[in-house]
Amino acid sequence: MHIPDAFIPIWQGAIYWIIALVFVALALKWARDEMNEEKLPLIAVLAAGIFALQSFNLPVSMGTSGHLVGGALAAIILGSPFAAVFILTLVLIVQAILFGDGGITTLGANIINMGVIGGFVGFYTFKGMMGATKSMPISAFVAAWLACLIPSLACAVEMFLAGTFPLTEGLIAMGIYHGIIGVIEGFVTVAAIYLITTARPDLVDTGVKTPSGA
Amino acid sequence: MMDNKTFIIAGIIVSLLIGCVAVFMASGDPDGLESTALVVQGQKELTGATPEDAEIEEDLTGKFSYSSPMPDYSLGEAMGSLGGLIAIIVGTILAFLVVLGLAYGIKMAGKPTK
Repeated sequence: MHIPDAFIPIWQGAIYWIIALVFVALALKWARDEMNEEKLPLIAVLAAGIFALQSFNLPVSMGTSGHLVGGALAAIILGSPFAAVFILTLVLIVQAILFGDGGITTLGANIINMGVIGGFVGFYTFKGMMGATKSMPISAFVAAWLACLIPSLACAVEMFLAGTFPLTEGLIAMGIYHGIIGVIEGFVTVAAIYLITTARPDLVDTGVKTPSGA
Repeated sequence: MMDNKTFIIAGIIVSLLIGCVAVFMASGDPDGLESTALVVQGQKELTGATPEDAEIEEDLTGKFSYSSPMPDYSLGEAMGSLGGLIAIIVGTILAFLVVLGLAYGIKMAGKPTK
């Protein structure tokens, strides 16, 4: 759901940029104050993994493909929605500048959707679900699914405000496509959390100390 | 438990493998946003296949445009899959280095104040 330059008027892009920069500043503050030096390698490896996953367009039927976003994964593993903002912002910058995936004027909107909304929805859904179900796989799956779906709906609203999509049609199509992509996102997120907690239980601080989530 | 070095190397290898498989296996269909654009422009049915000749109409007036060095994760038709592999490998390594560099930079800069 990387929005290209052509989809949003520059002045609207500027507004999203300003909002995004507030969250980027908070994410930098998080990195300075909260980020454990032990975790720096994990954060960088997650960024590499999220970049690679985002380049993998999986077929989701209906003539459409989709790739994973990774916002929920980053936020859950690192225990903060700002971790997702931090990683996704940098990945999106590399994608936009080097590969033309997502625009420059629309980068702010893309950071808001995938980093901010994806990170916050993923993190708090996971936290709430963990409290209710005590199950890492169920919680992470639902969190990742919502962290894919909700940003796509936000994107549809932005497209409506930009005059690019009509509201209802945009919401329906974006919702259906990303509802399917989100299922894959859910499975991969659970698998990735399982692998990372198995390899380095010390690096993960989500209350998920064992792979079973007990 | 893996030590840091093994974890980083294993993580990067897994990332590169995912990226390399993606070059050959990735779907050529438009993504969710592009697909929605085609639907609202009447070029595609909501649940139907994407026609070969479907193309998104872009209104570029008053919009910013930018040409990236490696558009669509490739180095152009002539380079084919090899170009795709190079693009993905460069991107994955760069994502790793940029995040590592900035994270260390922030930690260094933040030290005296704490």
